[in-house]
Amino acid sequence: MTDEPLLRVEDLTTTFETDAGRLVAVDGIDFSVEAGETVCLVGESGSGKTVATESITRLIKEPPGHIEGTVRFEGRDLADCAEPELREIRGADVAHVFQNPQDALNHCYTVGWQIAEAIRIHEDVGRSEARARAIELLGRVGIATPGARIDDYPHQFSGGEKQRVMIAMALSTNPDLLVADEPTTALDVTVQAQILRLLDELKTEYGMGVLFITHDLGVVSEIADRIVVLYAGKVMERGSAADVFERPSHPYTRQLLGCLPGIGPPSAGGIPGTLPDPTDPPEGCRFAPRCEHAVEACFEGGQPEAVERSPGHRVSCIHYHDGYDESVLGEPPTRLGLADPKAEEDTRTGGDADDG
Amino acid sequence: MGLARYVVLRVVWAAVVSLVIVTATFVLMAAAPNPAIQEAATQAALEGGDPQQAVERERELRGLDEPLHVRYLDFLTSIYTLEWGWSDHRSQPVTEALVEGLYYTAQYSIPWTVLTVLIGPLVGVYSAANMYSWRDHAATAFAFFGYAIPNFFFGIVLLLLFGVWLDWIPVVYRTDVAVFSLENARQLALPVFVLVTGSIGAVMRVSRNESAEFRDATFMKTAKAKGVSPFRAYAYHVMRPTLVPLSTTLVSQLLAIFLGSSLLVEVVFGIPGLGRLTFEALVAQDTNLVLGATFVFTFVAVIGNLLEDIAFSVLDPRISYDDR
Repeated sequence: MTDEPLLRVEDLTTTFETDAGRLVAVDGIDFSVEAGETVCLVGESGSGKTVATESITRLIKEPPGHIEGTVRFEGRDLADCAEPELREIRGADVAHVFQNPQDALNHCYTVGWQIAEAIRIHEDVGRSEARARAIELLGRVGIATPGARIDDYPHQFSGGEKQRVMIAMALSTNPDLLVADEPTTALDVTVQAQILRLLDELKTEYGMGVLFITHDLGVVSEIADRIVVLYAGKVMERGSAADVFERPSHPYTRQLLGCLPGIGPPSAGGIPGTLPDPTDPPEGCRFAPRCEHAVEACFEGGQPEAVERSPGHRVSCIHYHDGYDESVLGEPPTRLGLADPKAEEDTRTGGDADDG
Repeated sequence: MGLARYVVLRVVWAAVVSLVIVTATFVLMAAAPNPAIQEAATQAALEGGDPQQAVERERELRGLDEPLHVRYLDFLTSIYTLEWGWSDHRSQPVTEALVEGLYYTAQYSIPWTVLTVLIGPLVGVYSAANMYSWRDHAATAFAFFGYAIPNFFFGIVLLLLFGVWLDWIPVVYRTDVAVFSLENARQLALPVFVLVTGSIGAVMRVSRNESAEFRDATFMKTAKAKGVSPFRAYAYHVMRPTLVPLSTTLVSQLLAIFLGSSLLVEVVFGIPGLGRLTFEALVAQDTNLVLGATFVFTFVAVIGNLLEDIAFSVLDPRISYDDR
């Protein structure tokens, strides 16, 4: 029991019934999050990152959604939990911060009301106590004069402040796992860095596990302890941040890294091609149709068995299987611009621009 | 506070609107020939007198020989001091006749307004929560039925069915029963039902469609992720933003029915309210009473629009009061 991680997702498959047929958004993926660590789910839009995290506490609407697999959280299998039990867990133990703070707050209620709602749903506290805690939380996430802002409506806050409010709301019940779904994508670059730093501080302060979704590898390099690379609902590669950044092994991971400025050829204009049709995924490796190293075997059977390159660093690519030569993949891209992520963060956040 | 200033400005604006209406009425009345003067001339001619002299006497008697601006000020004063003249046809002051009519109109108008406001949004939001279920389809069918069928026709059909064939409710409206009595409830049940059917359709449709939008909003996902129950999520996070656009529909629907259909319904059910009073005054060419009833309806509309605007501003915190 003690070596059980905070969250362990096994063979998670989430499908949606659509008019075009059965859409497989997440196809049998595994990942885990330990207390106090940040796990990044990485992949381009449509790769199933959001669906995967929203399947944990079943935020997905069922039907049309359908979730299968095991989701072990603090020793319980959430897949077996009834809706009322899940409701106890949502917010209280697993909190979410969403991509677009603009839409994630209800425009008709004050931020104080919305934070207090989160508190009062899970704890038997009075109005004034919930309010006092909401003010405290607003202060903690860096809202100046929280006592004066508590009765303001969301539209009176800037984008960055709204995301701070969302984070305050997520923290209000002291969750064990924070799911942050592209929390900085909708924000200015300067504000992004502030929010990332805030999340990092809070992770340590609250001892939470953080499941962080992003397609921004620059963000990943700054915060991730471990990385899971998703493509078309399948895990391509996983490992520690060092493994994935120093020894990116899957062609997809390498091409993603190649898209970062400062890495790979300057002419890199993204990865050619588009994601496969999720209602009709291709045979073999999901990435094969876009992979420049694909051989005939890549288009047969299912996703290749993951190969463990070093402890915890697993790659799902046929070229690492016995009988194949991984050298055809060439050399991984070098980390030119990301030699010292911390140093870069300091320059990015140095100005600490006012986002109010 | 911006809101208080906005409300004051809006009330002042409503007063200006009412002044414009009263002025327009005065202009029309002054421009139109007065039937009483024609009548005096005819009378004098028939009796062998001098029609010209009779016209002048009549004009003097009615103050029509005064200059226009004096007559306008007199008119304004009497309108705003509620001295609306004498109803020839009812042989009582116009205001007294109107108050009597209002007494009966209120007895069915208050119940149907309250029912529409309470039931319409609830059913609409419920429909949105259970979209494309049979209950939603039933509600939609009911809404369109009520919206499509003319109120007076529906009233006649119901009166025939429940009053004549089934004999469950009285066909003749009785004014001698107490307001809060079973008899009164029975005789008002049909008109209230007819008017609710007419007004609730649009309210249900707007609440359903607006809340369908908020049902899928990201903040509903936030609410779910916070652990909010579906009931609470709909009651607070969907209902509240839905009320903003709904307030507009609600007021305009209630006004449209109140100003239009209630007249026909009163005639069908024989209720001696404002609607029938107006109708009879029109038939009897009782100018003062028609004018008075028109003013009542107009002022109700002005006040309704005022309330609608204020409700909209209070309900939507994003509206700024300063730049309007």
